[in-house]
Amino acid sequence: MNEYDEKWEAQINALLDSELGQDDAELLKAEASDDRELARAIIEAYQLQKAMGKIRVERAPASLRKKLQAIPRQHRATTAPIFLQPRWVMAAAVVPLVLVMASLMQPDTPSAEEVEQARYELALAFAYLDRAGKRAGNEIEVTVGHTMSDAITGTVIRNIKSQYESPEEKEV
Amino acid sequence: MSRRYRQWVKQYQDQAWTVARYILKDAQEAEDATQEAFVKLWHNQDSIDPERVGAWLMKVTRNGCLDRLRRRKEIVEFDESYMGVDTSGPLRGASNRETGAWLKQAIGRLREPYRSLVVLRDVNQHSYEEVAGMLELSLAQVKTYLHRARKQLREQLAEVRP
Repeated sequence: MNEYDEKWEAQINALLDSELGQDDAELLKAEASDDRELARAIIEAYQLQKAMGKIRVERAPASLRKKLQAIPRQHRATTAPIFLQPRWVMAAAVVPLVLVMASLMQPDTPSAEEVEQARYELALAFAYLDRAGKRAGNEIEVTVGHTMSDAITGTVIRNIKSQYESPEEKEV
Repeated sequence: MSRRYRQWVKQYQDQAWTVARYILKDAQEAEDATQEAFVKLWHNQDSIDPERVGAWLMKVTRNGCLDRLRRRKEIVEFDESYMGVDTSGPLRGASNRETGAWLKQAIGRLREPYRSLVVLRDVNQHSYEEVAGMLELSLAQVKTYLHRARKQLREQLAEVRP
């Protein structure tokens, strides 16, 4: 073989693989007639191909065959059911977490019933304060006179009411 | 699922065993490596393209074998008793069976990836494209390496068979 080694090597292998075209095969044959090394390489390649033809895929031993057949039986139990696989377990765990977070993130707005109840309780408290204020006013009036009692009880009741009323309620 | 797996076992067990046997040169280790490859096949069967199971299995078998070689820092000589043939003398007048046995040993002495290439292409008869996929090489690389491997074998054969 000469400096065309790689080129001819590829041609020889293509010839053995039956991938060499007719023209290239003729060219290789012509070259081999003038190049003893190339001719020898082709003959050796054919000899190798013939020897390779004697080699077969080896039959796996019986012990291995049994082991391979037993794999499904031995490994089925270790395969978790699909709903117990980590990704599904994770997904199942995330659902309640999301629900809790969603409920926590909602604004704390009372219901209409709660608002109504609060109004009722507030009205009761004002009524009580009003009555208590009048009683205190009577006692003061008896003791120190009408003008003084108004100045004390009126201020107290106005201060208490202003803390519980919204701007709209104040206007009303 | 099990039926499909059993079909694959029937179809590929000999090829996988052959690859492992040539690479590891030790029957027990080859058996273990082949078994490991099929266990992986069993666990991954749903994610493998059924059309490419053969290629996938050969690749996994070969990689498992190479891992084993790395672990034992393989420089172990080929087990001569495996074929029961003396490779030292010429093969003049040798029978076809003896020539075949000699060639098996010669393939076993090739370095990687030449050895795997010859086993996959010339023994197991996979296509160039399949071999390229199994060894993660380009088609051009597969052809070039295989030419070199065959050339080595050819020259060795010429030496013992004048």
